[in-house]
Amino acid sequence: MSRLSVPTTARLPSSLRVDPSNPAVSKILGRLSRASLLSVALDWLDEDNLHLAGPYLRRRHHDQDSDSDDDDETDDLYPPARSPAALRQLYSDLQARKGSKRDVLDRIVDGDWRHGLSLYQLAMADLQYLYDHPTSQKWSAYRIAPLKPPRDPDGEEAPEVDKQSLAMPRFHPSTFLKTLQTQILPDLKAHYTFDAHKSLPLLLLRIFILDSPYNTNLSLQPSKAATAATTTFDASRTIYLAFPHASPHLYLSKPQATLPGPVAGAGAGGEARSLRALLVEGIPKALSRPLRRQRVTLLSTSLATRNLRELVERRGGGRTNFAGGGWGWYAGEGRGERETPLDLVVPLPLPLPLPGRGLGETGGPDGVGAVGVKRAGLGSGEERAVKRARLVARGRFGESGRVGDGTGVERVDVVVEDPFPGGDQRQGGSAPGWQPNVRLTFHGSHVFAGIRQLVECGMIDGERMPGWMTGEEGVTVGAVRNGRMRGHKGSGL
Amino acid sequence: MASSLDDEIEDLQARVSSLKKQIRIQTSTLLTAPSTLQILSQQDKPPTPTPALGDTQPLETRLLAQSALQQAHNQQCLYRACATLTTFRATDPDPRAVDAGAILGLRIEVVSRARFLRPYYVLLNRPYASGGGDDGDDGSRRYLRVHRHTLPPCIPLAGLAGRYLPAPTAGSAGGEGREQDLGRFARALRMEVVRYHHRLGTVADLRKAAGLGGKKRGVGEDGGEEGGGAQQEEEPNRLVDISPADAEVKQLTIEWADGRTGRLVMGDDGEIVRLVAVGENGRDREAGRELLGGAARVDDVARRLAAMA
Repeated sequence: MSRLSVPTTARLPSSLRVDPSNPAVSKILGRLSRASLLSVALDWLDEDNLHLAGPYLRRRHHDQDSDSDDDDETDDLYPPARSPAALRQLYSDLQARKGSKRDVLDRIVDGDWRHGLSLYQLAMADLQYLYDHPTSQKWSAYRIAPLKPPRDPDGEEAPEVDKQSLAMPRFHPSTFLKTLQTQILPDLKAHYTFDAHKSLPLLLLRIFILDSPYNTNLSLQPSKAATAATTTFDASRTIYLAFPHASPHLYLSKPQATLPGPVAGAGAGGEARSLRALLVEGIPKALSRPLRRQRVTLLSTSLATRNLRELVERRGGGRTNFAGGGWGWYAGEGRGERETPLDLVVPLPLPLPLPGRGLGETGGPDGVGAVGVKRAGLGSGEERAVKRARLVARGRFGESGRVGDGTGVERVDVVVEDPFPGGDQRQGGSAPGWQPNVRLTFHGSHVFAGIRQLVECGMIDGERMPGWMTGEEGVTVGAVRNGRMRGHKGSGL
Repeated sequence: MASSLDDEIEDLQARVSSLKKQIRIQTSTLLTAPSTLQILSQQDKPPTPTPALGDTQPLETRLLAQSALQQAHNQQCLYRACATLTTFRATDPDPRAVDAGAILGLRIEVVSRARFLRPYYVLLNRPYASGGGDDGDDGSRRYLRVHRHTLPPCIPLAGLAGRYLPAPTAGSAGGEGREQDLGRFARALRMEVVRYHHRLGTVADLRKAAGLGGKKRGVGEDGGEEGGGAQQEEEPNRLVDISPADAEVKQLTIEWADGRTGRLVMGDDGEIVRLVAVGENGRDREAGRELLGGAARVDDVARRLAAMA
């Protein structure tokens, strides 16, 4: 490494090693479980990763000099291994054995990687944490759209008609990274890691940002002006971007400080927000291709959640984006067989729980008889009411909003803009009645599953419940007017 | 003991459902048969042949009702299979839905690899029915808007809707604004969907022709088939990966065995717009020419590759 550090605009190299005594290292590694720690260590020792994550090995001349070899073993708690293969064996053995996490952590920090952990290794450990705790990040979904000044923030107006409205933005990871780097300010240094998500159709980009003009070891040293304890790591931030496959969307996580301390905590709010703003501004520029006159912009889609699966469902590449709630029936949820016109068997009336208010086609007779017979066979009226409530819930929610389905949002904020009932509220704009300021916040592990449960047990009348309570619009922030979510959310236009 | 009983119950339930399914298949087969239809229509003429027996009457009406249902379904299937673009009516379950929840549905059938895929749906409503409140009601009442749909995000639905289903403008009181054209909207949409699936199919053909099977290529097998002598010549020019690089499947990433990579840009209808191959020493025009062989469409390339293999 050169002894001279010149401020540059280049990115931080993956091979840059961080001193193991750095609190950030113990923070990143310390929050992993023992099993994850071992699997990450084995990943580091993989042939493909060795050049960026090489362990501290015994030098050659030690082999010939048996005395010093012995010395090493006596005063060294973790004698360096001879080869990566031996180390791999060692960590595999540790995997089979039981033990404390502390031992493994100490072995990594004080033993096999005593010369420092590369930024690449830290990124891998961080990503492992993300897989272990899928809800550890709060994501917001953005739509990548051709750049046009929005005239109406609610999108109530139809989009401009031109040739560009038919163009779909495209994304190329390495070009994107190159241009994103030029968008980041020169006094920030970033380290980027791409990773394909293990279970979801996503490409993850981890951005680790340091406040330093240098891209060498100097950026990791304690700055001379500050006290010895504070390094630039204190102001470091990690932010994730996720690109769903085959979808013009992008998920951006909330920046997280590596070390939540008094230093980071004080300015973190504004700083983190500005960093996010910087990225929200920089990402569309990185995605744009000005030479081709293809400029894009990021539009908020009013969906923020910790659940990546929910995001993939509602802003992904499939059919369920704009067919939420009971409309999921059309996207094929809950129907096992494929729906081909060559199938001449008359479909069962199963997806039509309520004749009259059902979601299905009202064209032919629904086979009401079959449902009616079953209902007549039920016992008391109470039981019938419960059964009916469940059917109503199925009609309104479809297959969505089940407690264990792995999707769901944690928080929904709704502003009700309806005038106070009583008087002539039907007229809407013409009679400006008193309009109370009503804000509703739903909070829970799976908000719409909770509402569905309330419908199923009869606490909420499922037939009179407004449509936005089923979550079919797919937003977590919205305004309701005339009982409907404003801005035609959920239609995808 | 308990577990075996549970297994037995599960087994029986599975049998019940499979038998029920069989009954449904047999019923529809019988009801579709022309001879059955003939018998039913003959029975239809004398409405009460055996009034003495009370039981047969409801059975017969049920049979007729089922037959009518089956015939309606058959007709619907016929239209769906042949027209591939059908409409239906549905109801929005939202009690506060616009236009009393009336929904017009578009159903777009897609055939891919000799199979009908699950159809795509576009559900339209009329939110402008009473929105204006002015005398422009009559004109804007009939204006449609996309309410929900199940199209993949790479279909430019918003652009097509803006082009063919524009919202009534506030200024035009008598509906003098731009007219909506549902027919052209549906046709344009269907064309986009079919093009998209054709492009997907072309990529699959290309992969097949290049010997890139389902998941991983068998390196050893390919070399063995080519024969020992030709192996060394063949190896560097072998394609090891062809995959779509964007959501619309208009760009393909191509990888050769010797590390060269390429990008093929396809037009809307599968015509080759551009192909760039990059090797170690910059752009490799030779490789691109060799792959295309003067073809103008991606299908031709697939055919050529298949013929070579």
